[in-house]
Amino acid sequence: MPLKWVLNWQPNAGSTVNSQILNEVSQCVESINGVKEGRWKATLTFYKPMLRDQALAADFPRDFLGISLPEQPNKYYFILRGHKIVLEADSSIQLIMEKLQSYKSRVALNFEGFQYQLGDFQLRVGKVVPTHSENLRGIVMEVEYLPISSLEKSRQVMDEFVDIWQDTVSKRSLPGHFLHIEPNFSDYGLADHYTSQHTAVQYAHVMAQLIASVQAGQAARN
Amino acid sequence: MECVVQGIIETQYVEALEILLQGLCGVHRQRLGVHEICLKSGPNLGFVASEVRLLCDIEQAEPTWTVKHVGGAMRGAGAEQISVLVRSMVESKASKNVLRLFYALGYKLDYELLRVGFTFHFHRGAPITVTVSSVNKMLKLHATDEAVPVTPGIQLVEVTAPATSENYNEVVAAVSSFCEYLAPLLHLSKPGASTGVVPTAAAAAASLMSDGGGTTL
Repeated sequence: MPLKWVLNWQPNAGSTVNSQILNEVSQCVESINGVKEGRWKATLTFYKPMLRDQALAADFPRDFLGISLPEQPNKYYFILRGHKIVLEADSSIQLIMEKLQSYKSRVALNFEGFQYQLGDFQLRVGKVVPTHSENLRGIVMEVEYLPISSLEKSRQVMDEFVDIWQDTVSKRSLPGHFLHIEPNFSDYGLADHYTSQHTAVQYAHVMAQLIASVQAGQAARN
Repeated sequence: MECVVQGIIETQYVEALEILLQGLCGVHRQRLGVHEICLKSGPNLGFVASEVRLLCDIEQAEPTWTVKHVGGAMRGAGAEQISVLVRSMVESKASKNVLRLFYALGYKLDYELLRVGFTFHFHRGAPITVTVSSVNKMLKLHATDEAVPVTPGIQLVEVTAPATSENYNEVVAAVSSFCEYLAPLLHLSKPGASTGVVPTAAAAAASLMSDGGGTTL
């Protein structure tokens, strides 16, 4: 499958994300002739262990995530970042987890927005909001390069595209920038040939970035 | 949900059973080799203990993994009266690191088995699967090539069919009526209620072996 980079909006120190930034970012895509194609949505769920003795919580993972991706509607992905595990399963694994009653959903976030076509690139810009709420928690962007599946072979064209994109966004003097930090996929046993498991890992890392930037923002205010 | 019945047969009559099944189903058997790993939640995890099975299909060139959860049996007066067990069952294919994931989540190895035999998949009033297998235990952790039979000379026969809360009555009827065809060779009943081998097996097997399954039993 075509490879993609998942970027997240990094607000400048002391500023927070807001819907005006999201609007301007969307306008940026259109200003470089991105053609709006439709909506997309991914959902990320944090799970927490159901424990008989909370004092033993440290023995269980605190970073257990589940992700559903629009590119694989019949699949579901579990990620344990600490253990460097990404698991691909059928969607029915969610029902199994429910029946096991050992972990339950703590919070779920939607990544949703519009998809754009731009030559050989497909862009998705979306907001990060808790399910059942409209509180904007972040902005993400997927840059997908359709002709290539190799991470290494596409690196140069992706770098060049993202440079142009960063220039376009910076002209608007928004209080922040897009950040791309590529996870070390080989830690997860993933190869150079791109799969949806790579996407799931990227979302888990973007989520960690979002949490870190929210915490940094809170610390700065305090 | 699934409907399930089980029975046992002496290994010496398995070939006759295969001939009978081949005749009844009109399809060829498929080889079965499944490494089954049963995991239990650790002592502190979950308000009640939970169990999950990981099935590794070792017949494939690249082994495939399935996560299987078998839930409670349907209860009530209606369920008591029928001869087939109806229970909740959910399966999901998974990537090969699924055992690592469940260990990391706090699940522990309870036991592991190796099932070797064959299956028939066919449609007869409902999609039915018949599995005939010898159940083996491993003397060393995950050492599937050194597995030894749990019950030498005896094989397990399992008939299962997927069902929903809307159609399970029809599926139960389909499974029950299919089981009658196998009655001369083995008796099938709800899991855990095994009635042992049947006395007519030797004669039925001899008859099947002599005419290649042409005789209607």
